[in-house]
Amino acid sequence: MSGAVIGGGAEQREIDDRDVSVGTFLQEKVPYYAPVFEKVQRATLPRWHLNIWALLVPWLWSAYRGVWVLFWIALAIDVTAIVCLMQVVKFSPLLAEAQLNPEANATLIARYSHWINIYSWIGVLLLIGGRLWMASSANRLYYAQYARWRINSAVPSGVSMQRLVLGVMVILIVAPLTTYRATQLRLDERACFNHIRAAEGVEALLARYDASDVTDLMSILSGEITQRETRMEALNAIETLSDEQKSERAALRKEARDLGRDLELTEDFTNITARDKFDCYFIDDFPTLARLEPPEDITYRRVPDEEAIAAGREGATKVIEQIKDPVEGRKVTIFTYSAESIDISINYLRAQFAGGFDAMTNVLRQSLIRVEVAFMQTPWLVVAFLFIALSWAFAGLGTTIFVASSLGFLALFELWQIAMQTMALVVVSTAVCVLVGLPIGIWMAKNKWFRWITEPILDVMQTIPSLSYLVPAVAFFGISQPPAVLATVIFAMPPMIKLTALGILQVPESTKEAALAFGASEKQLLRKVELPMAIPSIMAGLNQTIMLALSMATISAFIGAEGLGAIVTSALGDAQAGKGLLAGIAIALVAMMIDRILKGIRNSFSRI
Amino acid sequence: MSVVELENVWKVFGSRASEAMAAIRAEGLGKAEVLERFEAVVGVKDASFSVEEGEIFCLMGLSGSGKSTLVRHINRLIEPTSGTIRIMGEDIGAMKSEQLRATRADKIGMVFQNMALLPHRSVRDNIGFALELRGIDGYSRAQAADRALETVSLHGYGDRLPSELSGGMQQRVGLARALAADPEILLMDEPFSALDPLIRRNLQDEFLGLSQNLKKTTVFITHDLDEAIRMGDRIGIMKDGEIVQIGTAEDIVTAPADDYVADFVAGISRLKLVSASKIMVNPDAHAAAHGPIDPAKSYPVASPEDDLDSLVGLSTGADLPVLIKHDDSIVGIVTKDTLLKGLQGGAEA
Ligand SMILES: Nc1ncnc2c1ncn2[C@@H]1O[C@H](COP(=O)(O)OP(=O)(O)O)[C@@H](O)[C@H]1O
Ligand SMILES: [Mg+2]
Repeated sequence: MSGAVIGGGAEQREIDDRDVSVGTFLQEKVPYYAPVFEKVQRATLPRWHLNIWALLVPWLWSAYRGVWVLFWIALAIDVTAIVCLMQVVKFSPLLAEAQLNPEANATLIARYSHWINIYSWIGVLLLIGGRLWMASSANRLYYAQYARWRINSAVPSGVSMQRLVLGVMVILIVAPLTTYRATQLRLDERACFNHIRAAEGVEALLARYDASDVTDLMSILSGEITQRETRMEALNAIETLSDEQKSERAALRKEARDLGRDLELTEDFTNITARDKFDCYFIDDFPTLARLEPPEDITYRRVPDEEAIAAGREGATKVIEQIKDPVEGRKVTIFTYSAESIDISINYLRAQFAGGFDAMTNVLRQSLIRVEVAFMQTPWLVVAFLFIALSWAFAGLGTTIFVASSLGFLALFELWQIAMQTMALVVVSTAVCVLVGLPIGIWMAKNKWFRWITEPILDVMQTIPSLSYLVPAVAFFGISQPPAVLATVIFAMPPMIKLTALGILQVPESTKEAALAFGASEKQLLRKVELPMAIPSIMAGLNQTIMLALSMATISAFIGAEGLGAIVTSALGDAQAGKGLLAGIAIALVAMMIDRILKGIRNSFSRI
Repeated sequence: MSVVELENVWKVFGSRASEAMAAIRAEGLGKAEVLERFEAVVGVKDASFSVEEGEIFCLMGLSGSGKSTLVRHINRLIEPTSGTIRIMGEDIGAMKSEQLRATRADKIGMVFQNMALLPHRSVRDNIGFALELRGIDGYSRAQAADRALETVSLHGYGDRLPSELSGGMQQRVGLARALAADPEILLMDEPFSALDPLIRRNLQDEFLGLSQNLKKTTVFITHDLDEAIRMGDRIGIMKDGEIVQIGTAEDIVTAPADDYVADFVAGISRLKLVSASKIMVNPDAHAAAHGPIDPAKSYPVASPEDDLDSLVGLSTGADLPVLIKHDDSIVGIVTKDTLLKGLQGGAEA
């Protein structure tokens, strides 16, 4: 009796007794398929038994019957076969052309004949072999579908005109374009770009000459040219020209040349064939249709505020904006438009909040200097002793030996001080990550909405390549150590936040409930239950953060971080493989030392 | 004065709970309709009961019947959609959060089915948790914890981590934690359900022994009728969020309120539950059927409160029916037939 379920309505599944007979599934041609299904089930259907419809029109058959697996496979095989055969169509004219001059083109002829040969064989084999496979597998796949349909009524069954139409539409979208593309050589990228340029130019000309259409424009242009040419001829006829006339003639010549260029552009435009346009839009790159006016070119600068200074406020500054004249007729793509807008916003923020950025830079620089001093000026013997003592206390003999030999490597290869610089960078970055990441993680665990917003942002942050973090850091802070720390912090923070939130969210509801039942307040719940129970997860986050900080500390050498990374980047610049390799090994050793010691500390914590 | 008092408590889960509640009031909707119209689940339906000082009140019902939901109203881990809950006369729903926390820490101890101990704290620190939350100093906490450990016979285990103890021992720690602040009220949500039968039996006995000394007012939840009968002074039977019957074990076994309860008690042994008074036949009716009592013969004698078990003992080996005497006068007669019918159930007057 105990444990039985009565009245738990949710736990009782409705069992509908739908009709799962072969007849309902097949709907048509039951006399053919029913025995075939039975043979499939008994495994007595011979391999050479072919489904005639699947042999002739496999995609139509499978769409009609809803066997979408076969539909896609058949489509892929057939289209591939046709693409191969189309290569023959593509290369045949080239071969014919080359054969006009057999001596000069011997290599070309050999190459083209070879390709035509290979592609036609592959195409024919694929077509025939593919069809045979489809025809022989169709019934088996269809039976498998029947078996799935018996369990799940959502699996397609019966025959359907709608599905057939859908299948035909898919084929129409996929097959003709792909086939056509296979017959064409690669497009000249500039051609399409020139189309767009010509269209834009003609549009501007139409407006300038107030022409109604392109033919009209061409006649206006040639009229203007003739007019100037006549005048020039008249001038040429004069024996001695006055200075005035000479300059008039020069002006006329220039005008005629410009007009001639406009006319050429218009002619180019009219010469663009429909096929060219089609090729540009459909068989090469995605057509960049949108061409926008570029954003206003504004620069923001912070300058001394004379008025305020005169009024007695010493050192007052203000932000001024300077707008550059736009380049006439310049049109940009959406990408360029957005990029320029972002540049302008960054420029604005930098000017507007210069004080804030400076303060931040300062704090980072100062703390970095302090920590660097601590690491670099502490005698090497003391630092080495501390490392070895830590690993001995928490991580056992193996790790201690490893740490000692790694330190030996750093010392022997004269990388000690530089490694300490890297350590300082990592320590400062990690400290900032913890100070900022922990509260964010807690907030994220506590607030559903905040979590809902933050989670995707963190996911994106973790997929952005690390080099990208250097860009905003440089944009806002320039090149030096503090932006390097900042880029490192931003790159290394997500795991800290995520694993803090995860750790808190993982605390069982029942444990929290118990704490509440004994009178805990929200704050006590966090401090005495949730955070302590989240510690393993938080430590894992800390570990990941340190590893990321170390890897980023290397990369941010590009923007001025000092330490082992700087050796690697300079070695990269000078193609000094040996130097880079040794520094790389040093970085790996530092990372492994920190990782092992931290793991030891974590383990000895969780043993409590 | 009752220590715990619930009055017309309703709990409707869902974002449109208050709307659903109004509709239930106005139109008397059933559970299914509420679910369909408001996507709301009726967790507790119009529950009222009170528990007297020192009493063990068992709430019993199948899983999903709303026992946990109901018991969490008593310390307001769950807010009722409607209704009042009074703890020692005080309306817990009207308490400010500070006062509520004080009440939870000082007056109500709770034991959970899955123990819900804090894995990162020693047994002693777990037990002292409620005191710690109240800001009691470490020394007094440790003393109280050790006292509580002694009470649950786990003396000397204070420095272990919960994970080092067996399930039964962990639940003793859970009990000690609930007892440490010496609360008036104990809420026990299926405390022994997750344990092996033998250990469960042990803990039940032990808890009963403890209760006799401590006299805590207890709300004890279980899905097992045997356990409810063993532990409970009174039993409330829940079904689909509703309390369908409240009474002593004997009341419920001999007079089930409906078929649902009757089904429940059908398999229960009546030997120790049903008393002679429930099955005995009126002496006159007996005389009419079998002739008068012969005063010369020595009939076995029992009192009306004796259970069927002892009547069976008296009847076996004797040819004569058992006389049920109260203050020396015969109030009823139990023949072997009546006894067998009584054991089978359904024959009570
Ligand atoms: N937070 C909730 N939201 C919605 N439904 C709930 C919630 N908590 C409990 N319920 C429902 O209330 C009913 C009673 O649950 P519960 O009190 O845990 O039963 P029991 O303790 O008797 O096994 C169940 O049907 C459950 O689905
Ligand atoms: Mg429960």
